[in-house]
Amino acid sequence: MFEQIINAAINGILLGGVLALLAFGLNLIFGVVKIIHMAYGQFVMLGFYLIYVLTVQLHVPLIISSLIAICAMAVLGILTQLLVIEPLLDAPRLNQLLALAGLIIVFENLAMVIWGADYRGIPLYLPILHIGNFYIRFSCLIAFLGALMTLGLLYLFLHKTYIGLAIRATAQDVEIAKVMGVNSRLIYFVTLAAGGALTGIVAAFFTPIYTVHPHFGSSFTIMAFIIVVLGGMGNLLGGFISAFIIGIVTSVSAVLTTAEVADIIALLIFILVMLVRPQGILGVRGT
Amino acid sequence: MKSPWVKKLFLLLILVLLVIFPAASPSPYLVHIMTLIFIWAYISTAWAYMGRFGLVSLGHGAFLGIGAYVTALLFNYFNLSPWIGMLIGASSAAFLAAVLGYACFRFGVIGDYFALVTLAVGELVALSIIALRDTTGGSLGFTIRNLGNAPLYFQFSNKVYFYYLSFLFLVFALYLWVRIDKSKMQKALRAIGEDEIAASSVGINIIKYKMTITIISAFLTGIGGVLYAQYITYLNPHTLSGVEVSLAIPFKAILGGMFDMWGPTIGTAMIVSLEEYIRVSYGTKFIGISEVAYGIALIVLIIFLPKGLYGTLKEMKIFKNERRRQYGCNKRKEVILRGR
Amino acid sequence: MLRVEKINVSYGEFQVLHEVSIEVKSGETAIVVGPNGAGKTTLLRVISGLLKPTSGAIYFDGHRIDDKEPHEIVELGIALVPEGGRLFPYLTVYDNLKIGSFAKRARGGFRRTLEEIFELFPILKERRNQLAGSLSGGERQMLAIARSLMSQPKLIMLDEPSLGLAPRVVSRVFEFIGKIRSQGYSILMVEQNARKALELADHAYLLESGKLEFHGGREDFLRNPYIKKAYLGI
Repeated sequence: MFEQIINAAINGILLGGVLALLAFGLNLIFGVVKIIHMAYGQFVMLGFYLIYVLTVQLHVPLIISSLIAICAMAVLGILTQLLVIEPLLDAPRLNQLLALAGLIIVFENLAMVIWGADYRGIPLYLPILHIGNFYIRFSCLIAFLGALMTLGLLYLFLHKTYIGLAIRATAQDVEIAKVMGVNSRLIYFVTLAAGGALTGIVAAFFTPIYTVHPHFGSSFTIMAFIIVVLGGMGNLLGGFISAFIIGIVTSVSAVLTTAEVADIIALLIFILVMLVRPQGILGVRGT
Repeated sequence: MKSPWVKKLFLLLILVLLVIFPAASPSPYLVHIMTLIFIWAYISTAWAYMGRFGLVSLGHGAFLGIGAYVTALLFNYFNLSPWIGMLIGASSAAFLAAVLGYACFRFGVIGDYFALVTLAVGELVALSIIALRDTTGGSLGFTIRNLGNAPLYFQFSNKVYFYYLSFLFLVFALYLWVRIDKSKMQKALRAIGEDEIAASSVGINIIKYKMTITIISAFLTGIGGVLYAQYITYLNPHTLSGVEVSLAIPFKAILGGMFDMWGPTIGTAMIVSLEEYIRVSYGTKFIGISEVAYGIALIVLIIFLPKGLYGTLKEMKIFKNERRRQYGCNKRKEVILRGR
Repeated sequence: MLRVEKINVSYGEFQVLHEVSIEVKSGETAIVVGPNGAGKTTLLRVISGLLKPTSGAIYFDGHRIDDKEPHEIVELGIALVPEGGRLFPYLTVYDNLKIGSFAKRARGGFRRTLEEIFELFPILKERRNQLAGSLSGGERQMLAIARSLMSQPKLIMLDEPSLGLAPRVVSRVFEFIGKIRSQGYSILMVEQNARKALELADHAYLLESGKLEFHGGREDFLRNPYIKKAYLGI
């Protein structure tokens, strides 16, 4: 039993890396555009399907289809900004939330129309590493390392480039960023494109681990949400740390109980954090 | 429609038309659609009790689900009549609302944060229903035992009874709206909705008023869940609780206009008809295509009717009241954006 | 250089500015004095493009700018030092200066401008890696002014630079503004502290409840009995 728990914790950490990436995207969009992207997980689902179509049906190498999916999701992010978010920037918060929730309905059912309700996966058999009594799926390890690398690149992008600086400034004070010469409209598009590309990357890392179905995305939106809230909305560092906490908590409790109970525990954490410290448990804001 | 008696006459005419509608209707299908509109209009009106004062709940599925499940389980397992079970179910929903509301209002959770907490609670209830699958049937749901014609057990041989029953509930909800508008509570809640800090500084007991309206809203929503479940005779966590339905309720209220008494009803009529129209015209060809069209329609409506259909129409006619409200909203939004 | 012609500005139904016209000539310092809520900040917001006037026109260097976006206006050479500084508190001092040079016209000269700024404000060089939010009130105001200089502007607009600062610090801030002025920048300053501001002014405007009540050279202002009584306390 103890070994099982440790094993679950290890898997939780590995999964946490990818979740951190997903939460980062959601957080970035929230921080900059001040909007809660309800349909974020559905982007991952669509990216997954795209990779599936390219790899399995059109026999494109996995790497290339992943790259195509990343670009396609960036474009989808831009389209979302153009068609849904931008027209609602000055609308009441509730309207923004509901419009993006409408996007969930559109995306999930679109997937249903095109691919049906079946589970689809990419047949890709990677070895499982045995270390003593513990085992680690190679695919999870790749996903974990890849996610960390992506996060590192993102950090460099945000801290070493002019556009990254403009993104951070916009997140803190749009109005003053504008007066500094930042075209905030452009920054919003860049942010949504980056957020979209991230979902493509996450989808690529998920392909050897999961199978996809039309409702695949919703649980990841919720998970990313929980992580963002736990780390503090707009706090990218906090999100990074809490991704691992949530990764461990959910995979350990899934081993000890059932998958639903694990989700319930995660939701309870979310509610408690929202009640007590909506700025997140890791109060400092570092972007 | 300025003079009150013209308005009253108009309302009376609609009332009469609705009462004789089932007898005159060309098909039972239309009666069925009208019944659905009444039930959901009743629920979204109950939602808007809170929504219009800035208490935006995205978790009313929790109250809907609890009301329906408690009542139906009590009937299926203990043979308790849903007429009595309904009160227990709705009270359970109200109890959850009280706990949730107290926690939120005590800690000063407002705006976005309140919306997200309630969203999580709705999902939590759905997951709990699924997790308790030995009793509730889990994701597959369960069917209410059929007794044939048993009015004492909330079952009718003729669906027309549901038409009138849900109509009565809707009328009651609208009546209660008017009563709330005339009560002391309305002023206090409006003040709170516009500027919570200012309201508390003039001595308004914020928690008390917010709790009251939340509990009323949840209780009525719980009853709405029972109404819907008894009508459909089938319970499923995805249609009665969880994110989807929790978002569908405010959708209806907003698209009608949540600040006006008739808004949620008009919004529901619009959405349910649209849903049915799309389903009938496209739904049979590909599974899911009607939902895609429905989703797109929702987004387009939200973008082009930000104040709801009724709200927009009203704004074109009478200017002064609406503007002040809108100002209040913007101020609130600013508070939200700054993150408390 | 800057010419504001009869602008009207409203927030919703509430009109804030009525037919306001001002002019800042190249190399000159103009100040706008007036009580709280007179519309001074609004005036600067309109010029920077954050707010659109309902009617009237604004010209800068021969371009009409009242329909331009804020970032386009920055590119033309107008910089704003907002009320209270409005720094990016979670960016370092260095990053705050760097974002100041975001405008394309200023990016190339970033290094050189930075050197000049550090010479002018040595304290900022010392604190370059500190978060802007951790600076003292006076330092913040300095950084805000320095940040605006980073865009290599032709016109600097200052919104109440003395607000909330201790009297000793106020003197230092005005000293710096004087230094900048002597380097040939055009300045448009909005200030409640009329006496201090007038010392730097070539031209002054009096704004009360959204209307221009008086304008003239410094001497005209100092001589006007109403202004003397209400704003200079003499």
